[in-house]
Amino acid sequence: MTKRNYATVNPCVMCQPMGSALAFKGIENTMVLYHGSQGCSTYMRLHLAHHFREPVDIASSSLSEKGAVYGGRENLKKGLRNVINRYSPKVIGVATTCLAETIGDDVPAIIREFKEEEGIGDDPEKDIIIIPVSTPSYGDSHVSGYIKALDAVVRKFAEKPESQESPKKPEGSEKPEIPEDIEIMDYMENMEIMEYTEILEKEKAEENVGEAKSPGMKEAPDAEEAGNGKLNLIPVESLSPADVRELKEILAETAGDHIFLPDISETFDAPLRDELPKIASGGTPLAEITDMPNSRASLGLGVVSTNLAVGYLEASHGVPGHNVPIPIGLSNTDRFFTELVRILGCPVPEKYQKERGRLLDAMVDVHKYLYGVKAAVYGDPDTVFSLTRFMLELGMNPVLVATGSKSRDFGLRIREAFAEIRPDLETMVLDGIDFDTFNDAVKQSKPEILIGNSNGRYIAKACDIPLVRVGLPIHDRVGAQRILTVGYRGAMELLDRITNAILEATDTFTAPVQPDPVADADRVPKVL
Amino acid sequence: MKGKTGIVDTLEERQPYITRKQEKGDIIPLACDNTSLAGAISQRACVYSGARVVLNPVTDAVHLVHGPIGCAGYTWDIRGAKSSGVETNRSSFSTDMKEIDVVFGGEKKLSNAIDELVGIYHPPLVFVYSTCIVGIIGDDLESVCKTASKKHNIPVIPVKSEGFKGNKSDGYKAACDALKQLIVRPEVKKPKEGPEVKKPKINILGDFNVAGDVWLVKPLFEQMGIEVIVSMTGDSTAESISRAAEADLNLVQCSGSMTYLAKWMQQEYGIPYLTVSFFGTEDISIALRKTAEYFDSEEMKKIAEEILETEKNRIMPEISRVRESVKGKKAAIYMGGPAKALTLIKGFAELGMEVVIIGTQTGKKEDYEQISYSVRDGTVIVDDANPLELADLLVKQKADLMVAGVKERFIAYKLGVAFCDFNHDRVMEFEGFDGFVNFAKEVDASINSPVWKAVRQRNLKPETSESERAGVKERASGEPCAKKYKDVAVDPEFLQPNQDVAVESEV
Repeated sequence: MTKRNYATVNPCVMCQPMGSALAFKGIENTMVLYHGSQGCSTYMRLHLAHHFREPVDIASSSLSEKGAVYGGRENLKKGLRNVINRYSPKVIGVATTCLAETIGDDVPAIIREFKEEEGIGDDPEKDIIIIPVSTPSYGDSHVSGYIKALDAVVRKFAEKPESQESPKKPEGSEKPEIPEDIEIMDYMENMEIMEYTEILEKEKAEENVGEAKSPGMKEAPDAEEAGNGKLNLIPVESLSPADVRELKEILAETAGDHIFLPDISETFDAPLRDELPKIASGGTPLAEITDMPNSRASLGLGVVSTNLAVGYLEASHGVPGHNVPIPIGLSNTDRFFTELVRILGCPVPEKYQKERGRLLDAMVDVHKYLYGVKAAVYGDPDTVFSLTRFMLELGMNPVLVATGSKSRDFGLRIREAFAEIRPDLETMVLDGIDFDTFNDAVKQSKPEILIGNSNGRYIAKACDIPLVRVGLPIHDRVGAQRILTVGYRGAMELLDRITNAILEATDTFTAPVQPDPVADADRVPKVL
Repeated sequence: MKGKTGIVDTLEERQPYITRKQEKGDIIPLACDNTSLAGAISQRACVYSGARVVLNPVTDAVHLVHGPIGCAGYTWDIRGAKSSGVETNRSSFSTDMKEIDVVFGGEKKLSNAIDELVGIYHPPLVFVYSTCIVGIIGDDLESVCKTASKKHNIPVIPVKSEGFKGNKSDGYKAACDALKQLIVRPEVKKPKEGPEVKKPKINILGDFNVAGDVWLVKPLFEQMGIEVIVSMTGDSTAESISRAAEADLNLVQCSGSMTYLAKWMQQEYGIPYLTVSFFGTEDISIALRKTAEYFDSEEMKKIAEEILETEKNRIMPEISRVRESVKGKKAAIYMGGPAKALTLIKGFAELGMEVVIIGTQTGKKEDYEQISYSVRDGTVIVDDANPLELADLLVKQKADLMVAGVKERFIAYKLGVAFCDFNHDRVMEFEGFDGFVNFAKEVDASINSPVWKAVRQRNLKPETSESERAGVKERASGEPCAKKYKDVAVDPEFLQPNQDVAVESEV
């Protein structure tokens, strides 16, 4: 195939504002407004509605030619006013688009002005909180938009007491307190320090309480006396509502108090109940986001991309940050539970020991079907990283591992995983790809199965290999919001789906039996 | 302002865009054809989207989006428009502009991208769409395309679709302007000697072959001895579009997007046009008869009548069956363009249904006048509606079924209102006679599914009567409560009574 340098054919990423909506939509009573032209909001609403099968309302400042020439100030203000009027949100996330960025609107300044004009103060109890985030479509991808939006949210809520007590942070506190190019794997060092103190605490707690359930932790001697004893959980990529639900359940049963940001478990998977609220109910409660700087630790999910929010909470509020892989698969989930135990000192509940046992049982059951099966996996960097580790554990051969995002660390992390689990295997690792490039790579590496979002369906069809749908978007099948991949249960579901897809494709049992030309003269099956 | 009745609770600035058909002949004062209100959450997209949906079905073109990745990504294979040949249009091509391109200009990248794609795909045609930032940084698409066109000896057409420069309708116009450049002036034909009769030729404008619609329509004309040169743009190619000016007549279906082109062709090539629809037996009949009448051929008229009779007889049993099961139900229509909305009114009438809400994203004053003329008194007419208005209207107008696109689907579903997709997402043809059967079946399935009965009960509140309670006590007390509830949950008869009350009270 001809190598391309300029044109992108069939993109494997979405744009930054999309990521911001995925993040903002997981916050209680929050509306999103894109500062840009009308199409951005409509297209992204369409994309998300199609995936989650939920109504998705995203406002737009509907910039017109006039706005583009003279600045979008008035449109943005009007947009905010109308959104407040109709939706009465507690939070509005204002994400910029390429148009707003290119015409150079100073969004934070316009918002300050708007708040003054409308008499909106900084009291989180009664005032609307407006959070700007700069997400031009020409920068990075939806993954960075997601990370940036969460960072902006955490900062905004953490910043609040500033007006009352700490004048030490000047107005321009938008600058990241953490170095730009922080290496996420630095967490390893931090972890070691944490390890000892936490294990000591844990032992003490177990001694004291006997049954070291979560309430017991509160009684454990806590170094930070003002702390709330909670654990922050912040992913670097959008997980499915089912994933969020599962993680929350694990935390509730293991760690007790926790704060999950952003919680899309209900906002993007709303039950059909009595009334249709203007803003989907659920989402991380604002009081909890405010409380995040007081938590005893933050657990970042994802080790390829840098979790800005976790970094910020550690650097500016001394909340120790730990980053673990998204808990997909056995070792990643083990790692997740291990970290929980280390931080909180709680034991792994029997329920999850049993689930883990069932996963092991399932892995044994399917090992022959999966051993050596060549797979190609694509999607968001951290999801792909975790999926790859799982496939390696299962004995599969991930011959092609790819992400649409540009990521320095992606290849590094993937190769580490191979070195750790299956140093004998060779793989092709690609980042910043489009599907056309991926297609070429598929032709070269000849996988027997694809794992990723529904945009890979064209390639799967053309190559006549099965596609196991994971990630976003999934537009051609139902149930995207219910796809569970995290935890031991998620691993089991994934394992079943992968195995069954392979069986479906290779099953010869139901194929027409070779007919006996003499005896079965009348029943010759049609050649397919 | 008359008609400002506050039909739904919405922003004051939005009130003039919502009205109710009052009396016959009363022209409604509906505001329309404006830029969407900031913060109102319009269902409209942008200029680019308007242009893209119109041009995207051109099957063998490379549709190159000059802009950041989002614009191309969200419109990848979005239309569900089928092709009988190549499917180059189903790929998403973009220059994926980055910050550096925004700062230093994207012309070079664009020109390289065109070269690259032409080298790989060898398309007979390239459309280059401009997006918001292109309009701001001022890349000269015209000259880049001109150069590329010369270099590759194929049309490379700039589509002026900067997202913010107007609304979706302006995108339709930009698409038509692009199509105009492809239509070649036919050579002046020398009168042929002898009695050879020229076969009448038409174009179908504004049919996008969603799910294969055009393939159910074209044969009808072919049976009448008419050649369909091209359908714009469903299943069209650079070559077939180029021959469009050879037609004797244009049939315009999606008037919102294509009337502009039809008028231009009339002016430029003297080709008249008729506005028609191929949806519903009534509109198909009108389309065939009008066409035969235009060509003033008795033979053609005769064939048309034969087709209509045979086809109607063929499909009527199924239509009647559905009609029996859906008549009297109330429909809500919210469409991108007014033509589809208008023809749907008739379609629903054929199924015995009544339209209670009708709206469009891009209707103009004349369109709404026509709509107002076609609907019953009391029908709410809305321009550029938003989700809250639609939800409120569905409840207030007691709609049983909504016909719209994906974004509206889940609003309806959450309210327990049936929904039917008449947009890009459907997999069945709705045009032509078989298409109408498909539509009827879809309406039947949408309305008569038992799930709607199930969702009327939103919360499980098992009530045990005195006697039942006593019965429970009498039984072995160790029996788990859940079992009792479980039995209740599977008995719809028991749950039915007090639900309707709950629904009513919400209304």
